[in-house]
Amino acid sequence: MFRLFRAAVICLTIGLFYGCASFDGARLPPSDSLKVPLHNEIGNIPFFPQTDYQCGPAVLAMGLAWSGVRTTPDTVAPEVFTPSLKGSLQSAMVGAGRRNARVAYPISGMTALIKELAAGHPVIVLQNLGLSWAPVWHYSLAVGYDLHDRIIILHSGKTARKQLSLDVFRRTWARSDYWGLLILPPDMLPATAQEDVYIAAVIGLERARRWNEALAAYVTALNTWPSSYAAHLGMGNCYYALGDLNGAETVYRGMVFRFPEKGAAYNNLAQVLAEQHKYPEALAAIRSAIRIDGAFADEYRKTLDEIKAKMKTEDY
Amino acid sequence: MINMRSAEKLFIPVRIILVIAMLGLMGPHGGASAAIISTESAVQADPADQARSDIRKVLERAEIRDALMKQGLDAAEATQRVDSLTDAEAVRLANEIEKLPAGGNALVVAVVAATIVFLILLFTDIAGYTDIFPFVKK
Repeated sequence: MFRLFRAAVICLTIGLFYGCASFDGARLPPSDSLKVPLHNEIGNIPFFPQTDYQCGPAVLAMGLAWSGVRTTPDTVAPEVFTPSLKGSLQSAMVGAGRRNARVAYPISGMTALIKELAAGHPVIVLQNLGLSWAPVWHYSLAVGYDLHDRIIILHSGKTARKQLSLDVFRRTWARSDYWGLLILPPDMLPATAQEDVYIAAVIGLERARRWNEALAAYVTALNTWPSSYAAHLGMGNCYYALGDLNGAETVYRGMVFRFPEKGAAYNNLAQVLAEQHKYPEALAAIRSAIRIDGAFADEYRKTLDEIKAKMKTEDY
Repeated sequence: MINMRSAEKLFIPVRIILVIAMLGLMGPHGGASAAIISTESAVQADPADQARSDIRKVLERAEIRDALMKQGLDAAEATQRVDSLTDAEAVRLANEIEKLPAGGNALVVAVVAATIVFLILLFTDIAGYTDIFPFVKK
């Protein structure tokens, strides 16, 4: 009996909840108000059956492979799996997505899940297949649904296209506070994308030093939110990180025109100009930033001092 | 068995060195250069709090790194995992990491408990509240 139980324990992950405390849309509204097809299944997702406890790497590898990254569970395992925990932490799934140059976008709730699946985006879900006090944590990849038959279709464990009743699935998913994750190429926006959440996901790509992909993702953001200050600044900062001072300068120049009340753009413009030895313009820019003042006032003054010091050493 | 508290004490010097190293590497806003204001700090909800919270964030990153290394990851991998998180994510993870289970190993208790848990889960599976056993039709 014990062995049977152990065999059933497909994989254990530790439930460090990733702050998806929102219960909005946890339950599914009537299907006609969702404005999605009654049935959809994403076809072109490779299936990697998991080995012992390795549901995290298997599911992440499937998500990455769908998004165009050539990989296998064995390749991603060192980036997500924690051997002593016999599981994969959610933060490691997010981080590994970024380290593989993909936007890791968190979603929560049944409505968002169905909308993403309807848009053709597979969703990594963390389920607790057991009970809150006897948890059996398990990652699956949601690949489809049928609202008429009320089923969800999962690549889960050793089973491809496992069909599970929506109600049973919702109960197992609710125990992780409906923790879901999209792994998207940087030119693809989530169907349920919110500006601040998407920007935060792209900042994660910057953190992982994937500047090219972060740049592409900021462009994707600007296609939908053309007046996003953060996406503009991020774009400039990515160019700067890539060593493209011209590109960065162009973006920051556009920004000081478009967001004249924001000092950070002036500050970064001043820095980029100074690095190109365009000192008079750099001084003008940083003085504008200091006039605007605000939270980064100390930084602006530091930049000014640095520019002055540079001018001195170069006898400008 | 070393208890968690004394193990943590052992790590204090390591942590201090790490924090100093990370502070040196990161600069005031974690960007590539001190003079460029990063996207991350520009969108932070409470920039007025910046200076103080930066130190806290670095501490939290060091804490997570320590915790991951205690779980058997090597230093390079632990660092890379922490580095791929935003500040907000790192703070959240640091707050949660204390909840990592201690992992008791009383075998007899485990076997008895497993039997009881098996029966309960079998029942909840049949009722459609859990999804453990493949032989229970859902």
